[in-house]
Amino acid sequence: MANAHDDHHDHAHDEPAVYPDGELYGVLAEFDTPGELIDAARKVRDAGYTEFDAYSPFPVHGIDEAMGIKRTILPLIVFGGGLTGLIGGVFLQWWMNAYNWPWNIAGKPAWSIPANVPIAFEATILFSVLTTFFGMWILNKLPQVWHPFFRSDRFAKVTDDAFVLGIEAKDRRFDHAATTKLLKDAGAIAIEDVHLEGDPRRKQMPKWITAFIVASTAFALIPFAIAAKARNSHSSEPHIHIFPDMDFQPKYKSDTAMDLFPDGRSNRGAIGGTVARGSLNADDVFYRGIERSESGGAWTTGFPKQLEINDALVKRGQNRYNIYCSACHGFDGRGSGAVPLRVAAGGGAWQARNLVEPGGASVMMPNGQLFNTISNGFNTMMGYANQIPHADRWAIVLYVRALQRSQNAALEDVPADHRGSLR
Amino acid sequence: MSTLQKSIHPDEKYKAGKLGKKLSGAGLAIALLFLGLSIILTLVSGTANSGHESKWSRFFHAYVIGWSYIFTLSVGMLWLILLHYLVRGRWITAIKRIIEAMATAMPIVFIAGLGFIIPLLAGYKDLYYWAHPDAAHDHHLAFKLGWLSPEFFAIRYVIYGVGFSALAAYFAKKSRQQDETGDPKISETLRIVSAPAMIVYSVLTCMVGFDVLMSIAPKWFSTIYGVSFWGSGCVGAFAALALLVLGIQRTGRLTHSVNAEHYHDIGKWMFAFTFFWAYTAFSQFMLQWYGNMPEETHWYKYRMFGEWQWVSIAILVGYFAFPFVFLLSRWTKRIVPSLVFFAVWQLVFHWLDLYWNVMPSYDWTVTYHDGARLVAGPLQGNPELHHVGFSPVDITVWIGLVGVWLAGVGRGLTGNLIPTKDPTLPLSLAHEVQ
Repeated sequence: MANAHDDHHDHAHDEPAVYPDGELYGVLAEFDTPGELIDAARKVRDAGYTEFDAYSPFPVHGIDEAMGIKRTILPLIVFGGGLTGLIGGVFLQWWMNAYNWPWNIAGKPAWSIPANVPIAFEATILFSVLTTFFGMWILNKLPQVWHPFFRSDRFAKVTDDAFVLGIEAKDRRFDHAATTKLLKDAGAIAIEDVHLEGDPRRKQMPKWITAFIVASTAFALIPFAIAAKARNSHSSEPHIHIFPDMDFQPKYKSDTAMDLFPDGRSNRGAIGGTVARGSLNADDVFYRGIERSESGGAWTTGFPKQLEINDALVKRGQNRYNIYCSACHGFDGRGSGAVPLRVAAGGGAWQARNLVEPGGASVMMPNGQLFNTISNGFNTMMGYANQIPHADRWAIVLYVRALQRSQNAALEDVPADHRGSLR
Repeated sequence: MSTLQKSIHPDEKYKAGKLGKKLSGAGLAIALLFLGLSIILTLVSGTANSGHESKWSRFFHAYVIGWSYIFTLSVGMLWLILLHYLVRGRWITAIKRIIEAMATAMPIVFIAGLGFIIPLLAGYKDLYYWAHPDAAHDHHLAFKLGWLSPEFFAIRYVIYGVGFSALAAYFAKKSRQQDETGDPKISETLRIVSAPAMIVYSVLTCMVGFDVLMSIAPKWFSTIYGVSFWGSGCVGAFAALALLVLGIQRTGRLTHSVNAEHYHDIGKWMFAFTFFWAYTAFSQFMLQWYGNMPEETHWYKYRMFGEWQWVSIAILVGYFAFPFVFLLSRWTKRIVPSLVFFAVWQLVFHWLDLYWNVMPSYDWTVTYHDGARLVAGPLQGNPELHHVGFSPVDITVWIGLVGVWLAGVGRGLTGNLIPTKDPTLPLSLAHEVQ
């Protein structure tokens, strides 16, 4: 080797076309089947060799034992990784949800083990898989882009159909003749010597690879450099619009200025003196709860004539009431729904109006005013005109009346023949 | 010959001889002893309690648990047979006759189940609440009573019994045929049949879970219940397989054919299903707990509060956490005493899991209306007042039914204990042999 190197410098003008092979790296032996590979590996192991390896297109079960390889410590590393993931996953959730930023969501506890299991499970899997993958690479000294055995054409077949055993010359028991004989006796179908590269120039890593690594590393740092610059400098330029046609669309949003119309507004309201089709709502009783007369208007005390007052309408009213009203007023109308309870849980004190209080405002209101309250709201209560159709609002009025009756019932309201069953 | 294939060892003893008869006899003795003891214990017990009018109620609840237990042991092994053909498996071939014996106990299992089906048909109303006349007054239940009627229930039971028995018998019979003819085409036929059989199998197994166990608490429902029931069952089935193979090796049979690799694989399956069960059981819990809808959460309410929470914690730790951590290691599955320990452990906890599924529904609440006694069914009232209320009958019925199952398994242990002409046998015998 040293000689070849010297030659290169001393006689650069007449270098030979082909350099001879370098020193012997090892011996390759090909076997016909995985079973024979295992048998041969066992024989080589028993002969005292340590610097050898088996190469096969697929994992051969039992080869590690036949070669005398110690059991891998990878499972322990993976266990540690999994445990880290488990503890980390639980800690992450505790820190975020219960410690750093506790947030009351519907009164649920900020920290609850069952809710944490899926994340903890996934974190365990993730860390186990990553430690398995990278642990395997590190323990196998991968990635290994080059190996002297690659110089053998026969060796390329191990990615396809060859089962190969390679003994390296650095093994202290290595003896070319004896080792070859051992492999031949073990049933090798072909034996081949592999030498190191003899050409000193080809032993160097090509310069362009080094250049490529340096260049691509530098290139990869550019985004970080831009980000670092942006964080530490000011700019008077508007920021870059990557999709300008999405950021600036040719349309007008409501309640914005527009010079096309004389009033300068983008909104086009209803034209004075007109009513949209189906929006006349002329029936004051049904639509507004007002009874018109010569002397003006008053809240109606009855129900609109369009509605048949029956059991089905009460049931409908109950259904709508339970959906829209009970959250504040409570299912019994006494004003202790889930929202006041939540306020109380937070240390506050607020009650919705008691709808069934004897002599209270809600009991005394005419039906029309109740209807109007549902439609347009009252004090802090918002109007429900947009959520609840007119007929349903009347059904709720009817149900509230039924609630008021039932919550203030007296013994006399119970039919005489059922009074006995009350306890 | 390459080490990847092996023929049967010349000294191997693989004839069943009287083994099956002996096992059946022992099983029958256990069954008679313990079921008889259970009947005596019930007869001398006091009057009915926990809302039941009949004092046999505890016995029948324990019977459903015990029946589900032996059913899962067989159904898990039937699955292994189907899977073996479906994916052209090889490693189990050496122990396939034992697996088939466990699966072909199916007819005996379903005959044993008549112990609670016949009383149900005869009008016994203190086991399944949906069979109680008061259930019709419950508007949550009324619409289910078409499906959950004793007659239709019994019809479905017969369908399950015939279906499972036929599947197990077909695969075992064809495989035995191969011993005589040596025809490799039989393996191919079974492979083709195994795919549709797997579909039928899956549907039937889930339905058994829904019908026999889930309907004990008839207002509750969970679509994953059948899968979870099956997963838990496979833990028990593989544990039982490990013990049975070991027991047969103890008699001097199959000593050369079954090695540590086979035990390792049985152990791996047991480990896998331990996790699978935990995964599905937690999925079921997680969605219902988080969804927080009363019609679903009430089932867990009675298991998370009161005395039953300690059983729940015992299952979480004993059926999942402890075996999971230890079975992770390769050696706990390869060293025989350790595998035996975990097999027995999981067999006990598989029973406790079924117990936990059924027994909280044992307490029925009773109300009075206009002087009339009305049964409001299981899972009602304050969970703190629900007691585990352990009874010796719970154990004796279980052991008795395991005896029945062993008698059924013994019937299948005849002739060759190795499928001598199965084309995959040489591969199984050389299973990762060193």
